Amino acid sequence: MEKTASDEIVEVQDLYLNFYTYEGIVKALDGVNLNIKRGEILGVVGETGCGKSVTGLSILKIVVPPGKIEVGKVTFNVKGKSYNILDLNEPTMSKVRGRYISMIFQEPRAALNPVYSVGYQIGEVFQHHRKEEIIKAVIEQLKGEVEKTSGFKRHICKIQLSLYERMLKNPKSLRVRLTLKTPILKRFQNRMKTEIRNRTIELLKLLRIPDPERVIDMYPHELSGGMAQRCVIAMALVAKPMLLIADEPTTNLDVTVQAQILVLINELQKKLGSSILYVTHDLGVVAELCDRVLIMYAGNVVETADVMTIFKEPLHPYTQGLLESIPRPGKPFTSIPGVVPGLINPPPGCRFNERCKYAMDICWKQKPKLVEVAKDHYVACHLYSGGK
Amino acid sequence: MKKMKVPERLEPTIKEIKFILRRIKDSPLSLAGIALVSAFIIIAVFAPVLAPPKPGFNPYLIPSDPSLGFRIEPSPPSPNHIFGTTTAQRDIYYACIWGARWAFQIALEVIVATVTVGIVLGLVAGYYGGFIDELIMRFTDIMLAFPGLILAMTLVTILSQVNWQTIDAVLLSIILIGWPGYTRLIRSEVLRIKNEDYIEAARACGASDLRIMLRHILPNAVYSIIIVASLDFGSIVLTTAAMSFLGLGAPLGWSDWGRLIYDGMSFVSGGLRWWWSWVYPGVFIVLFVLGWSLLGDALRDVLDPLYRRK
Amino acid sequence: MGLREYIIRRLILLIPVMLGVVVLIFALLQVVPPERRVLVYLSGNVRELNPTVIKAFIHQYGLDQPVWVQFASWLNQLLHGNLGYSEYTGPVLYNLIRRAPATIEIVIYSAPLIILIGIWTGVNAAVKRDKPFDHASRVLSVLGTSLPSFFFGIALSAIFIATLKWTGTGRLSLYMDSQLTALRTVGQWHDYTNLITVDALLNGRIDYFIDALKHLVLPVIVLVFINTATLVRVARSSMLEALSKTYVIAAKAKGLSQKEVVYKHARRNALIPVVTLSGLIVGGMMTGLVITETVFSFPGIGRWAADAAQHYDVPVVAAYAMFSAIVFVLSNLIVDILYAYIDPRIRLG
Repeated sequence: MEKTASDEIVEVQDLYLNFYTYEGIVKALDGVNLNIKRGEILGVVGETGCGKSVTGLSILKIVVPPGKIEVGKVTFNVKGKSYNILDLNEPTMSKVRGRYISMIFQEPRAALNPVYSVGYQIGEVFQHHRKEEIIKAVIEQLKGEVEKTSGFKRHICKIQLSLYERMLKNPKSLRVRLTLKTPILKRFQNRMKTEIRNRTIELLKLLRIPDPERVIDMYPHELSGGMAQRCVIAMALVAKPMLLIADEPTTNLDVTVQAQILVLINELQKKLGSSILYVTHDLGVVAELCDRVLIMYAGNVVETADVMTIFKEPLHPYTQGLLESIPRPGKPFTSIPGVVPGLINPPPGCRFNERCKYAMDICWKQKPKLVEVAKDHYVACHLYSGGK
Repeated sequence: MKKMKVPERLEPTIKEIKFILRRIKDSPLSLAGIALVSAFIIIAVFAPVLAPPKPGFNPYLIPSDPSLGFRIEPSPPSPNHIFGTTTAQRDIYYACIWGARWAFQIALEVIVATVTVGIVLGLVAGYYGGFIDELIMRFTDIMLAFPGLILAMTLVTILSQVNWQTIDAVLLSIILIGWPGYTRLIRSEVLRIKNEDYIEAARACGASDLRIMLRHILPNAVYSIIIVASLDFGSIVLTTAAMSFLGLGAPLGWSDWGRLIYDGMSFVSGGLRWWWSWVYPGVFIVLFVLGWSLLGDALRDVLDPLYRRK
Repeated sequence: MGLREYIIRRLILLIPVMLGVVVLIFALLQVVPPERRVLVYLSGNVRELNPTVIKAFIHQYGLDQPVWVQFASWLNQLLHGNLGYSEYTGPVLYNLIRRAPATIEIVIYSAPLIILIGIWTGVNAAVKRDKPFDHASRVLSVLGTSLPSFFFGIALSAIFIATLKWTGTGRLSLYMDSQLTALRTVGQWHDYTNLITVDALLNGRIDYFIDALKHLVLPVIVLVFINTATLVRVARSSMLEALSKTYVIAAKAKGLSQKEVVYKHARRNALIPVVTLSGLIVGGMMTGLVITETVFSFPGIGRWAADAAQHYDVPVVAAYAMFSAIVFVLSNLIVDILYAYIDPRIRLG
């Protein structure tokens, strides 16, 4: 498949991110490069602490203090235009998040606010990103009612109609805002709320949630892990995003539930045509789900290729080590010797140098760059960059 | 920096201590707390030197200055009396210095008593659970239903009817209102620690209940006790001062900060005219309590595993 | 369990605690020898009674009976509203009721201020972490916990009452107070609530309203400053914890504005423990009232108890202790129910 510029929806270039902690500066992301194409599922694999979650959050420009993005570019291509996410201000980002790029999280019940019902939380996304569509639908409804009814009811409908039309034309209109605050008058919102509620129920059905009319009013702690995760996914898909960032969404679920969710994600992805950035440490999931894979280690991208190539011809010593350590019957357990280096004072050169069996002198002096060694196969290793 | 040869076993402890010292150094509030508390400790320990008592008299009794007569009206600060005098020409500086020693004495006595009772009851209640736990807990609930000061007032009032000295009554009252808090604290710590795996391991090794309680559970609960006790220093002194302020504490002429303010209150109607009679003791109280509060916070930052390394 | 079952269960648990409170007071009273204890039941001038008469009274009131019989009759008396007589102020219950409105008036102004200021400051300190607002509020709240309320009160009194003469002690200035008695006699003033500020408005007398308010300012300031301190610290740490939760990041990832994330999502969760603390603080105000009313000579039940304690007047102090305990226990109950109502995790089990 030929890679054209218009195929890429998100590109991360040379992203450096530090955490300024009490013990020192944690150099969490050390020049991360990746791109995601339209409609593809890109797996990001790495151990805990390698920076994969932080990368995902950075794409949404959500940087949790004490973190700070030092340099880098996160380009996001939509409707033929290109934007650097790191340059956008907060109000603009607020329109991007949840709408073009959304995210699902590892622990579903933690990602949901315990004091609001799941229906309310899904409804929030409708309110935020699909308000126009909903108001238009309500207006159509009201127009229909104005024709059919008469007398007092007709009068009320006409007033509501005018309010909604005003809302559509001028969202910040003073009249609308005042009406929204007055006790009895603000009930005119109910039509909109019902419309949102209906659409939420439809969405829950799409996610194969049984008995959605009941679930919609339930609170997160009342749901099982699998159900909660489906609700979180529903929340992320309301506005039909271009890119879904999935941060280990099935890690905390039972294996059977995990399988169901994976199937669901696959289905929805095909239906909506979104791309998925799937962060995980589970190679099995990667093999099942992903089109392309990106391997991360200690804040760097070390190898990128399509899924078959990664499993058949892993080039980077770390990738090879990972695949070797998958337990197989008859084979003794192996693991990569050593531990992940501390990121406050990482070793100079390639961060894998202490554990790499092929380490050469240059590996301690210079950091390897990510170079293309075969078609769409990139590695960051001195073994392949012509350095000996 | 030259590396000292340190035995390997002690290395983690040394690292801990270094970390603690660095944390303290970086927080100005912690330093302020330590400074204040140290200052008060020095004042209390060196009271006989800083304010020599009259020989043959109880040092806690404030000496009056006969050269100024026994006038009720306080005299302003002067070279002889750097903080001035209060009614009957008692020297405020003397009272404040010995007041520090008195504050420590009361606080230490109360804390030792309440912590001991709290440990005993808390360990028993938390470890054994069941009926005895319910019993102890109900009793602490009932005692905690009364606001502290008010229960103390009631106790002192009642004890006066059997001719107790107010000072002794106040001491006993504050102990009696203090032990339920520690009991609850230690019990909840015990409950938390009881479920840890190392307790089960100890039991599997055949350790007796008492040994488990003393060797395994208690040392882990110590941090919370230390943090609460240091905050308690301040609150005990506040309560004693409040009791004295209500006339229920130290008697006239005793170097107790609260009592001084009680005596000084008669002169408040003069506005700021006799300000030294109540401002100095008040400031001492504020600084004392402040110091211990800051110290308690600092200890919490350093000792409580939940707050560290944030 | 549903909310209703929860409430019923808590109400039932209330009974042993109330009983315990009463038993404890009774046990403490037993420390007092019968000769002194009997005086509680006697009205009128009791100091001149000779031993024989006292012995007779002891027998009459059953104070020579076994403990449990005494308890039963004492409890019986209590439930009929007989709290005994004080040597200095007369019938205890009567005094309690008569002096309560002054205290209630202080509480009505202090409690809402404590809760509103405390929560607002704490939440904003967390949102603006490590900025000037945060540091300032932390300094003030540390000061608030270290400052003895009586010292603060005396300082304010010395400055504003004695020196600047802006206001005075008591509920009304002397002049207005004496006028009030006159007004009452001629029927031009009706005590609807016994709260002077409210009654002043109801009687159409703004001058009394202002005067009473001026006299309330200083006691309220003292109570609010001291009690807000604890609330601010708890609100701040609760909000900081809420802000670090995953659902806050998730809300942001949905595209909600920073304001919405902080105030709609984080704050709601942060307020849950804070609400309970607010209730406890208000319920525990009884202590602060004793001191504050004494400093400002405010004629409420706090000062009544303080004076009684000075005179070692047992029945009054014991009654005040019981009253405070009951108020505290009830406020605990209300707060627990409120908590269960707000937090769906508890409400729906």
